[in-house]
Amino acid sequence: MECKITAEDKDATYVVLPAYNEATRIQPVIEAIAEKGYNMVIVNDGSSDNTLDVILESKKKYPNRIHLYSLIINRGVGVATQTGFEAVLKFNPKYIVSMDSDGQHSPDDLDSVIEPLVSGRAQAVIGVRPLEDMPKSRNFANAVMNFLTKIFYGVDVSDSQTGFRALTIDALNKITINARGYLISSEFIREVNDNDIPFEEVTIQTIYTPETQAKGTNSKVALKILFQMMKHKLFD
Amino acid sequence: MLIYSIIFPILSIIAIIVFFFRFRSGKSSLSSFLIWLVIWIFVIIFSIFPESSVIFARAFGITRGLDFLIIVALAFIFYLGVKLFYKLDKLEDNMNKIVKEVAISNEITLDDKEE
Repeated sequence: MECKITAEDKDATYVVLPAYNEATRIQPVIEAIAEKGYNMVIVNDGSSDNTLDVILESKKKYPNRIHLYSLIINRGVGVATQTGFEAVLKFNPKYIVSMDSDGQHSPDDLDSVIEPLVSGRAQAVIGVRPLEDMPKSRNFANAVMNFLTKIFYGVDVSDSQTGFRALTIDALNKITINARGYLISSEFIREVNDNDIPFEEVTIQTIYTPETQAKGTNSKVALKILFQMMKHKLFD
Repeated sequence: MLIYSIIFPILSIIAIIVFFFRFRSGKSSLSSFLIWLVIWIFVIIFSIFPESSVIFARAFGITRGLDFLIIVALAFIFYLGVKLFYKLDKLEDNMNKIVKEVAISNEITLDDKEE
């Protein structure tokens, strides 16, 4: 039975949003999240466009919901998310979510993603995209990455490259994220598994547009992640 | 006398001087200065007396002196590559830490925008 997400639960939830050159896409995402009553920690990842100005425009509308930090130079989604995870501790959150800021993830899924945490069934959640909904090029890269995550980290998940994840504050305090780029997705799963944190998969909707397709796990990124995984396995 | 017998020793002496000044100004440690000193001295010896490399080659079971020099040079380049990779990796980690710290201690408020 699903438990209901109350306004208090939402108030204790902080959504971490790394943003790199998302000026044209981020506004509807953050305003939808704020409208739903969730708090946000947005990390501008050294964007070269006016992402920061766009976020500040939204902050004017929801000053108490949006907390904004900015990396002075672009360091990648991993570092931006790590920054968000560290900054969020200042606000004493109960639940922490991280999702993409480019509109690929729907704020409508927030309730269902934190539901297993609120009900106490799990301490970590990954939002999985149905493979059949993905474009073919992505589908292949993701299947390869799921396989590699299983080989290198010993965890079997249906979508290892998802950027939509949620966890309780206890779980956040247990895990250590060192990944700089897209390796963060696999590393998050490894950390959850290694620390015996009970986790659940929740199916989420994915909105693919030509713009969001240019980002994320394509074959080149997949190859990069493979090298990083090998490096971690051999030297860490 | 072959041209490399003149050029390599001159380059090596310049390198030793450069490395000495780096050591004196505290930019490199005594151990790394000594390692480089030995390497450059060997470069000088092998350039002026190329046949001396055969002695070292034989000691490692290699017949030709030049083969020995090429193997040593490749091993050295490989070592430098790995060392540089680690140094860069560490530097990048440190840079990330600084960038993160700066961001976390400076939350951007609406007042910042109006200034």
